[in-house]
Amino acid sequence: MTRPRVAILVFPGTNSEDETLRAVQAVGLDGELVHWSVPERLARFDAFILPGGFAYEDRVRSGAVAAHDALIDPVIEAALAGKFVLGICNGAQILAEAGLVPGTGPLRRPSAAFAPNASGRFQSLHVHVKLVVAPERVPILAGIEPGAVIPAWASHGDGRLAAPSDELARIERDGHRAFIYCDRDGNPVAAPNGSALDCAALVNRAGNVLAIMPHPERDAWTFNHLDASRDAARGDTQAMLAPSGGIRLFEHFARALRGGVPA
Amino acid sequence: MSAQRTFAVTLTIPDNEAFTVYETLGRLGIDVARVVRADIWVFDVDPGAGDLAARIASIETIHNPNKHRLTERSSDGPAAGEVWIAARVEAPATLVAGRPIPGVQAIRRRTAWRLLDDQGADIPAAELSRAVDAFLCNPAFQVAITA
Repeated sequence: MTRPRVAILVFPGTNSEDETLRAVQAVGLDGELVHWSVPERLARFDAFILPGGFAYEDRVRSGAVAAHDALIDPVIEAALAGKFVLGICNGAQILAEAGLVPGTGPLRRPSAAFAPNASGRFQSLHVHVKLVVAPERVPILAGIEPGAVIPAWASHGDGRLAAPSDELARIERDGHRAFIYCDRDGNPVAAPNGSALDCAALVNRAGNVLAIMPHPERDAWTFNHLDASRDAARGDTQAMLAPSGGIRLFEHFARALRGGVPA
Repeated sequence: MSAQRTFAVTLTIPDNEAFTVYETLGRLGIDVARVVRADIWVFDVDPGAGDLAARIASIETIHNPNKHRLTERSSDGPAAGEVWIAARVEAPATLVAGRPIPGVQAIRRRTAWRLLDDQGADIPAAELSRAVDAFLCNPAFQVAITA
């Protein structure tokens, strides 16, 4: 059986492509880095991931320049055709600027943004996020259980969901807020970046485009997970290299690409 | 009681961000020959705050004399042909790089854009507005201010 092909987009300034590629490969997908200079190569992929970083140095606004880059044209086309598109951190900002999430307005006329953190500072924190929509609402994460809690690293200066109040109401009412910040037990906590609705991830109407601010790929292995399991694994290479909670997001993504069939 | 003073910080070296905007606007079909950018700093200052320009220049955080020009604006709004992009909901800062500036009560920051044609004149207002709507401003959290 042919493995689904996933393009991991690389803009000038992207910096999380390697760990994203490793996570994709670990869940049995055929991942490949595609650089900004060869957008025509995107035609042959089944799904797309926009990883974290600072595309185009975040000039003008986070994600704004990349959202108008030629590399995004085929991604928009694919998203509208129902293919899966996952944006992580800067990738999430790009999807918001491209109008793909929440997807309530015209393309490239953003109705929401991941704006500068309320603190005014870049923040790097280990966090947990919780699914707050029905699993059927996120076919991009096939098989994910209701209320799933996923660990990740929030590492951004611009991760605060911002939108006019009527748009925020629409985001909440229509289930565009896919994940919120929570503690390890799934209890909601205030978003560390001041995000409206304590939102950590947005999903579009069809559920095939997900934009998540914290990095699950940076908590994909025990050595970069922040709790007692890492301490317990010290000195045990196999245990240290074992998958961690963040890999689950990629497992569900892979399952979606296999038509709902688990690995 | 405070007064407002406005400063523009512009690059004296090539402005890569302005060039990126030029490139992106071209991709969007908005024809400009040159893009000029300035960081605008609006300070609420105590009366008699003294030589604020010298103080800003001396801290070298928002102004580096090796690559910036610091100019005090006579108006607290954009010049003709210019657009300022600001946060829709502002939380004025009191510190710059973690340090207060003596005599300064609050600090607000904007980005000023000026789009010029091949004659060095401002592009028509309708074209500027198109550039703002298509790219320069995200209305979800920003506002565009024109003269």
